[in-house]
Amino acid sequence: MRLRLNALIGGTLMALVLGTAITSYVWTPQNPLRIAMRARLNAPSAAHWLGTDEVGRDVVSRLMAGAGTSCLVAALTVLVAVALGSAIGLVAGFTRGWVDRMLMLVNDALLAFPGILLALGLLAVMGPSQWGIVAALGLAYTPTVARIVRGSVLSIREREFVEASVSIGNSAAYTMWRHVLPGTVSPLIVLATSLFGWAILAESALSFLGLGVPPPAPTWGNMLAAARPYLETAVWLSLAPGACIALTLLGVNLLGDALRDHLDPRSRPQ
Amino acid sequence: MKIHSFLAGFAAAALSILPAAAQAPLRASLNSDIRSTQPGGNRDFNTDTVMMHVVEGLVALNERAAPVPMLAEKVDVSPDGLTYSFTLRQGVTFHNGAPLTSAEVLWSLRRYMDPATQWRCLPDLNGRSGLAKITDMAAPDARSVTITLEKPAALFLSTIARPDCGSTGILHPSSVGADGAWVKPVGTGPYSLGEWRRGQYVELERFEGYASLPGERDGFAGGKRALMPRLRFVIIPDSSAAKAALLAGNVDVLTDVPSPELPDLRARRDVSVVAAPSMGVTALLLQTRDPLLKDERIRRALALSLDVPELVTGILGQDTQPNASPLPSASPYRSQAQAGRPARDIAAAKRLLAEAGYRGQTIRMITNRRYPNVYDSAVTAQAMAADAGIKIELEVMDWATQLDRYTRGDYQTMSFIYSPRLDPSLSYEMISGPKDTQPRKVWEDPQALALIQRSMSVTDQAERQAIFDELYRLFMAQVPMIILYNQPDYVAFRQNVRGVQPWSSGQTRLWNVSRD
Amino acid sequence: MSATYALKRLGMALPTLLLVALAVFALLRLVPGDPAQLMLGDAADAAQLEALRESMGLNHSLPVQFIRWLGAALQGDLGRSLANEQAVLPLIIERFQVTASIVLVAVALAAAIAVPLGTIAAWKQNSSLDLAVVSGATLLLSIPSFWLGLLLLLLFGLKLGWVPVVGYVGFGEDPWAALLYIALPVVTLTLIETGVLTRMARSAAIDVLRLEYVAHARSKGLRESTVLRRHVLPNAFGPTLTLLGIVLGNLLGGIAVIETVFTIPGLGRLMVDGIYARDYPVVQGTMLFVAAIYVLVNLLVDLLYPFFDPRVAAE
Repeated sequence: MRLRLNALIGGTLMALVLGTAITSYVWTPQNPLRIAMRARLNAPSAAHWLGTDEVGRDVVSRLMAGAGTSCLVAALTVLVAVALGSAIGLVAGFTRGWVDRMLMLVNDALLAFPGILLALGLLAVMGPSQWGIVAALGLAYTPTVARIVRGSVLSIREREFVEASVSIGNSAAYTMWRHVLPGTVSPLIVLATSLFGWAILAESALSFLGLGVPPPAPTWGNMLAAARPYLETAVWLSLAPGACIALTLLGVNLLGDALRDHLDPRSRPQ
Repeated sequence: MKIHSFLAGFAAAALSILPAAAQAPLRASLNSDIRSTQPGGNRDFNTDTVMMHVVEGLVALNERAAPVPMLAEKVDVSPDGLTYSFTLRQGVTFHNGAPLTSAEVLWSLRRYMDPATQWRCLPDLNGRSGLAKITDMAAPDARSVTITLEKPAALFLSTIARPDCGSTGILHPSSVGADGAWVKPVGTGPYSLGEWRRGQYVELERFEGYASLPGERDGFAGGKRALMPRLRFVIIPDSSAAKAALLAGNVDVLTDVPSPELPDLRARRDVSVVAAPSMGVTALLLQTRDPLLKDERIRRALALSLDVPELVTGILGQDTQPNASPLPSASPYRSQAQAGRPARDIAAAKRLLAEAGYRGQTIRMITNRRYPNVYDSAVTAQAMAADAGIKIELEVMDWATQLDRYTRGDYQTMSFIYSPRLDPSLSYEMISGPKDTQPRKVWEDPQALALIQRSMSVTDQAERQAIFDELYRLFMAQVPMIILYNQPDYVAFRQNVRGVQPWSSGQTRLWNVSRD
Repeated sequence: MSATYALKRLGMALPTLLLVALAVFALLRLVPGDPAQLMLGDAADAAQLEALRESMGLNHSLPVQFIRWLGAALQGDLGRSLANEQAVLPLIIERFQVTASIVLVAVALAAAIAVPLGTIAAWKQNSSLDLAVVSGATLLLSIPSFWLGLLLLLLFGLKLGWVPVVGYVGFGEDPWAALLYIALPVVTLTLIETGVLTRMARSAAIDVLRLEYVAHARSKGLRESTVLRRHVLPNAFGPTLTLLGIVLGNLLGGIAVIETVFTIPGLGRLMVDGIYARDYPVVQGTMLFVAAIYVLVNLLVDLLYPFFDPRVAAE
């Protein structure tokens, strides 16, 4: 019952967000970058459903475009983290020994590292762009992925079919790819869902500190950051992007719960 | 009943502490902590603002940024322009009660000229920067000090008066300990340094023995009265929080009001906002060595594509006026000849672009979020230039990174704000120079450089004016940068505060300020 | 076991700290802009820059700078701030007290709410109570902390005027005022962390409920409430403890945003301001400190864990 409710609400929310994100690449009610200095901070009206921002841009259009940027950044971040993290986790868990220890040492150091410094450093090296954010967040999440993949690899590699694969002369790489990797997919999917949420949250937090995706491209995070001075005078500017982030995270969390229940039989409701 | 009497008692208790509350310090916000208590040493704008309450120099800048006597009663210059004789005012005492004599002045000057002090303005006075070179300092008697220069320098007095030099503040030798280490400034200002809680506040205390000049407040000079027994500069780095603190009555004066907060603050009855154009310059810098922008036609097209009056009104309303000249509008040398700017002309811009063979290549513009108006200018310019088919891409950086790119000249265009230059020669020196040795300079035109050099030695006012008008003509023809406006200096304060007045230097002065 | 084990774990943490120190140092120098430039601003000429850099000790080669800093750090000297010449270690400790008072109170409050709530939800799994608890927790977890902070600030600080909107007063100076100042940040963090911890406590309790000894206890005819109090609640604490460690670590790293919203002079702001000001000693010191705390908290959690392990307790 809860499983289906979670899946339903979470799925609907995510579909809505992703749908908006994709739509925004072809259509928004108005040009989200069009500045109108004479129409600054207009309250919500028929022409601008959620009003205009501090340089007169249409908030609804920017929210839509923001969904596009935020989701793209989050999705790419997850991709980077999962690709790097699984590679490290697989190698560490499969080889064990000193390679494992070295990799985990670096991993732990990265875990104790502040995201903001990583972001600032990478942004400086890569130039301020959404790619810098993707790289920074992707790297920041890699250790988490690596830990989890390593954990499941360690448990899988003790199973008979892995030993069998090695004993009949299959190479380590083949065995990893063919027998070990598939076993890590379920926990990875669950983790990737959470990561997507974290990435959206982290991008907005970085934007809030002035380090997010550079303008004029809107993201919910930099909209919220820009809205801050107008908290009292134009509260809609703060409410709308914050609510978008919260709803997306809710969707992600609910969907993640549903996935976990579905993929991990242990926690399935009895 | 019990509760009532308890409340009544509480109210009485609250009332009884009211007189004490009236003595609470006047609180003014600072957006960052001061760097040190050494005038002109490890400093920044906020440090200068605080220090100008504590120390005073021989001369100080007046309301129009011209140097006038401060601790000196008068300044005589020898006919050859080499020797400056300062006669000290009588009756001036230091915060520790010691009288001001030429000995302390000489001690202070020697300390500043010692490289170990790391005085910011040393290069300007030892000949390194070419501004002036002091060859001798002497104290013929207890009330006189003479300074001798190697060559006549039109900027000597205004340099030693500069707030970023700590106004060359005269200190009592007890400002440093027996080991030569800095202790705290023992100066002659209307306030003395009280408690400094790093990251939280700096408190100043009224100097009861202050000897004020007669008359009204005049820049950093003129009459100064410490009306409040204590001043507290409260450090609030976040502008929204600073505004909230003002509205909640947690601070009395906001020394730095970011423009986005203005409409809201102005709409309030319990708060007043006042503005005066500062001498800081906001401009779009164009890298004249860039493969694309080295073509003057593209630079001119960019200038023509902008509707600067619209941009300024959009961002700043009526608080400042567009200004195309490197000289700030408050400068006495910014004449009518420097008032014009070609109106926006998209067709002409497109024509120039076509001539230059521009085919929509991306032009990168660096900007930052630390200065909201600089950022808004970049965003607006980007949108306006797009109308002429110029494609600008913004790169938003943190301020330190942008400064690094500026210092290395590593940019195509950047939206930038210069700190105030208080002399017209310096306004031009700030943007011009040989890029090979000083990559931060934007404009390298030999003719202009020669004119600027001349403006530093010429003392005749009309002749100087002619030089600046000519410089302006060259500047507008070559478009090495597009100057937009002079950032207004805003001060906001609560309704019960009297006497706050912004001015062109941008530094908030809290003497002659009181709270009802 | 625990003394040698603790020592061994501590030994393992040292390379991690060294690596963090090196990475922070390297990354910091990779970021363009330096404190000398910032100090001189738009008027920095090459000679002045050089002189200032020299006075700041930035003209030595990077390896020399690193080894010098590390050598001093090992002796407990983290250097002085380049921006205001303040000694770094006392500065960090002063700021850490501020941050810790907020984070610890918030996490303690959140745990006090979350552990019982999660356990009860697990006990009544799939009931409407469970659904309500899980939904509430998921909702809380989904709200960005700084947004929640802003909204609370708007409501209680600006509209109602119940709490001061800016600043901080130490408990030593004025306990009542201090309480008012940290009220909103604590409430914000507590709400968010309650969401995280409730879900965690619940799933931990579900795991415990499935263990055989619980069934055994039930079969012995103990009342459900007794089973819950004696067996489930204490045992669900172990996994939650682990999470508490992670939460504390993350909070130290992520507190900067909350401190920005409420302008609290804490450790997070110290680091962020330090990064913007390129105040190398401050950033390096803060980072080393945070990493050390992170390692220490996790070590503590590991050492405490056996005491709460159901399999141990079930003996």
